[in-house]
Amino acid sequence: MENMANTVARIPNLVDWSTGEIRLMSAKCNSCGTYFFPREHYQHRPGCSREGVEDVLLPSKGKLASYTIQHYPCPPPFKTEKKITPYGIGLVEFEEEKIQVAGIITDTDLEALELGMEMETTTLAMYSNEEKQQVVTWAFKAAK
Amino acid sequence: MRDVYIIGTGIHPWMGFSEQVFADFAAVAVEGALKDAAIEWQKIQSIMAGIFIYGGNAGHLSGQYLESIFGETGIPVVNVYNACATGSAAIRMAFNSVVAGETDTALAFGADVSPKGFLTAKSDNAVQDRDVIRWKMGGMPNPIYWALECTKRMAKYDTTEEDLALVKVLMSEYGSKNPEARFKKAYSLEEVLNSVYVCEPLRLFEICPVSTGAAALIMTADEELISKADNPVKINATTMGSAIYGDPTIRISALSCPSVAEAPMLSESYSASRQAYEKSGIGPEDIDVLELPDNSSWHYLVYLETCGFCGEGEADKMLRDGETRIDGRLAVNPSGGFSSHGEALSAQAIWQVIECANQLRGRCGERQVDGAKVAMAQTYGLMGNSGTTILTV
Repeated sequence: MENMANTVARIPNLVDWSTGEIRLMSAKCNSCGTYFFPREHYQHRPGCSREGVEDVLLPSKGKLASYTIQHYPCPPPFKTEKKITPYGIGLVEFEEEKIQVAGIITDTDLEALELGMEMETTTLAMYSNEEKQQVVTWAFKAAK
Repeated sequence: MRDVYIIGTGIHPWMGFSEQVFADFAAVAVEGALKDAAIEWQKIQSIMAGIFIYGGNAGHLSGQYLESIFGETGIPVVNVYNACATGSAAIRMAFNSVVAGETDTALAFGADVSPKGFLTAKSDNAVQDRDVIRWKMGGMPNPIYWALECTKRMAKYDTTEEDLALVKVLMSEYGSKNPEARFKKAYSLEEVLNSVYVCEPLRLFEICPVSTGAAALIMTADEELISKADNPVKINATTMGSAIYGDPTIRISALSCPSVAEAPMLSESYSASRQAYEKSGIGPEDIDVLELPDNSSWHYLVYLETCGFCGEGEADKMLRDGETRIDGRLAVNPSGGFSSHGEALSAQAIWQVIECANQLRGRCGERQVDGAKVAMAQTYGLMGNSGTTILTV
């Protein structure tokens, strides 16, 4: 993992790097088994008691379940200092958790994207804030 | 249950961004519906209004604004928002009011002025509004969601880029015959395949933009009004569906989806259509005309399957074999669809029902489906919103 000192997520409680790996901050219902992301957006199976929801980190690696290549700049409030188009967006599957999460694909040859390939959670530097911190979002890259 | 008929419809033609206010567009549509029904404003006993979400207080209370233009009469006025299925919700409430005998004659309308540029987040609270996260962190405009599903489809079935382009060829051919469509140019397969990618595999001509437009319809159970109307159209069912737990579709604004399907794709539309089939006793095999929400070419294909017009993965063949053409076994989007109109959020579901009614009333000129007796309008809105309306003459 890169040096993440002086790095801040643009919106908190979505991506974590405190364990030494970059991982998505999900939640799990221990009654119905549903994983959801983001944590604040609760999802339960109908009839679930909704008891025992806990915060969990998704594994750092998953498989590419779908992708697209975006050819025009995303409008505000999306913001990056550098031009990133064309950029990939992937749906990465975490098999055991039975969830797919969408995110920008970075540091990866877009021509070489293939369904089923192993992807790793990472961050994408978007811009520097007034405190000179690197502001990031979560992203995915081809696993090494 | 008593029978409810559409007796009057009105449209303000679809167009791009306008400086005019939404209520002026709404008034044009409502005026048209009153003229078509040949009734006075005072006959309207309830108003079910689609909310214009970008219109501030006026847009959120669009029914009250509209009522004041025509003259306030003290009747119930309810404003409703269900994203792009807002018009379906207005129609359903109007129908329920009339069928239950609360009122005899009801007006449903929606009017929307497209914002300049893209539709984006409407708040800045990421905890409360997940939409903020997808814009600020995800970099995911709406067509991304459709492209992610389309990529999955192309890997699973034999859908090709030519299939996606063929949808636009058909839609543009019909749009060119529709005086009320916004886009009237007919495109060749080659022209569509030469248009730029927006988000692969979807090209510029294979996704719909946002538009300005208004639509209004008047329905009644009043026998005198029905007998005087020009070709009244019966509403056999008008339903709404929400999503079902375990639906594997990644819904617009969501950042995740289940990886193991426990429900059908686009389950909100599966649910709305199955409710309509059950309530009306009419099934996909009985339907002559279908207006479906072709936000992209992917939608055109998947909606034929979601609504039970063919099995999973069979829509491409229906399209290639010409079964969905105006002269095929099921005329799909003879209006030219969203592809030729663009989305006008609160108005589009009502416009789809009006197109179906016009087909059944034999008013569609060059794009008329011969002998159409049964029609279905199917909508779709983000976050699990859908409506189905089945009409007969």
